[in-house]
Amino acid sequence: MAPAVQPRRIIIDCDPGIDDAIALLLAFASPELELRGITVVSGNVPIDLTVRNALQICALAGESGLAVHAGCHRPLVREPIRGLFSGPTGLGKLDLPAPTRPAAAQHAVAFLVETLTDAADRGAPITLCTMGPLTNLAVALRVSPAIAVGIERVVMMGGAYQVPGNRTPVAEFNILADPHAAHVVFSSGLPITAIGLDASHQALSTPDRVALIEAGGGALSRAVGDLLRYWDRGDPVRFNGPGGPLHDPLVIAHLLRPQLFATRAAAVAVELEGALTLGQTVPDWFGQTEAAATVDVVTEVDANAFYGLLAERLASGRRRVVA
Amino acid sequence: MTALPLIIDTDPGVDDVAAIMLAAASPEFDLRAVTTVAGNVPLDAVIANAGRSLALAGCSDVPLHAGAGQPLVRRQVFGRHRALGTFGDDLMPVAPVATSGRSAIDVLIETAIEAAERGQPVTVCALGPLTNLALALVQDVRVAAGIDRIVVMGGALSALGNRAPWADFNMLADPHAAASVLRAGVPLTLLPLEATFQVLVTEADLQRLERVGSLPARVFARLFKASDRSDPARFGRPGGPVHDALTVAWLLWPDLFRTQDAAIGVATTGEVQGYLHADFHNIGDQPVNASVVRAVDERPLLDRIIERFCALPDPAGTHEAAAL
Repeated sequence: MAPAVQPRRIIIDCDPGIDDAIALLLAFASPELELRGITVVSGNVPIDLTVRNALQICALAGESGLAVHAGCHRPLVREPIRGLFSGPTGLGKLDLPAPTRPAAAQHAVAFLVETLTDAADRGAPITLCTMGPLTNLAVALRVSPAIAVGIERVVMMGGAYQVPGNRTPVAEFNILADPHAAHVVFSSGLPITAIGLDASHQALSTPDRVALIEAGGGALSRAVGDLLRYWDRGDPVRFNGPGGPLHDPLVIAHLLRPQLFATRAAAVAVELEGALTLGQTVPDWFGQTEAAATVDVVTEVDANAFYGLLAERLASGRRRVVA
Repeated sequence: MTALPLIIDTDPGVDDVAAIMLAAASPEFDLRAVTTVAGNVPLDAVIANAGRSLALAGCSDVPLHAGAGQPLVRRQVFGRHRALGTFGDDLMPVAPVATSGRSAIDVLIETAIEAAERGQPVTVCALGPLTNLALALVQDVRVAAGIDRIVVMGGALSALGNRAPWADFNMLADPHAAASVLRAGVPLTLLPLEATFQVLVTEADLQRLERVGSLPARVFARLFKASDRSDPARFGRPGGPVHDALTVAWLLWPDLFRTQDAAIGVATTGEVQGYLHADFHNIGDQPVNASVVRAVDERPLLDRIIERFCALPDPAGTHEAAAL
């Protein structure tokens, strides 16, 4: 059955990564979304592996026609750092067949510039879903500032706003991995929904929730079960039990069910100078700076409803709308 | 000898014009492209100035590409001679200016990747903020392999700055881009201010250009006077530097330059943002990433540059400039 409303046009920019992989599978299973392409960036693992992982996840879901564009191979200024929780390949212990097709010939930045310029020209802006360091989008904005008109909104996994960081005491990984790119995006004036650790640490992959997903029974549910088993932080002191914070799928869930999320508007600046605070996201809740409050920071998420949605979509095998 | 494939990345700027003219006047180069970046003046003015400079030098056929209009991260600053803006019609002959419609950054990427595949890497003279090069190098790992060397005008080691007490304009205008490019692993030659301050164009040199020279030589003399670069209190003698032209001159006549290897870096944070530091003695145990010009043989260099300028023919269709 066709969806009741026009599907939302999106591009996913990611660095798979276990949670990116689950987010991609959720997007594939969501007919409300028209996925125009996947752009990949160096992040959790080096670019060769993030590209390979994106292609493998596409193949797992039967999305062999969806373009995967390889993007920037390192951050804008700083040396690369890597994720700690996705394993050496980036997909934990999930063993998937080698990709049978290459990435698209067009670079991720060129794809963003071309697609968003076209979206601007046609008055049909696109929502950008970012799940990794923001290098690709920042470079695209500096190469071609006019693409901002073609962006409906950036829905981002990144930052730590009222909670501690996960890679340093104050910084979240995606922002810390390319703080200068994050600065470019947050200072762009674009409307942003920021889903940070404030949200994802409320959405822990507890054993009950993993069991709920696995009960779906199909290949996707089983694969995500495997990924989430690997995702267990084994840090009950921080997380009050087994499991891990499931960051990136919240981006897709926010597009599907915004009513599950509470947000608060703020201007957000990124710390670029501090020896202890590099990559900290600094929200201005009370208008103390001159900056406009262009960022909707997610403060709360209905985690049970989120995991219910994820389990249901992975089990249903419903297919996305093909662009 | 085959001509050296060259890209000039530039933000004209009077001394940028000298670099473009010197490259145009030198059969040693195969000038593939001029890429533009906001710097001395805003991007629109940079493009107009670069296009007119190419026409003046008889190189209207060299593709001109529009690049980054703002620095990567910091608030934008312009050069000391910003008031010149777009060179007035009274200073620089009018010429039609057309950019390629392609992004300078895409051109740098494609040219470098193709050059790497053919095993004939290109040389880039970087005369402005390093924004374009940073945006190209960060995108694709193959770009670095396609660039033989970047010859950078920038840094202020012992001469201290010209746009801030601690920094030359190019490093100050986009320190993050500079830091990024320095990490890219591309061989680099640096012409800091203390090198470019060693080559001063004097009134006698300008008179020689005006008296002997063709239209391009005369136009350059006039531009140079309009920007009044003389600072006897600082340089200890009359005359003004032609900073950017020395990048091209180093490629032509390396025998007139003395260089020293160093590990260089640029401060991206703090009170001295844009300061370029050079370690000539392995104090910091960092790998050498640049060859820094320390001394220049001024008189023969200026004579050779002037000789090349004077040999540039009047560009075709310059009747409107005949009144000069």
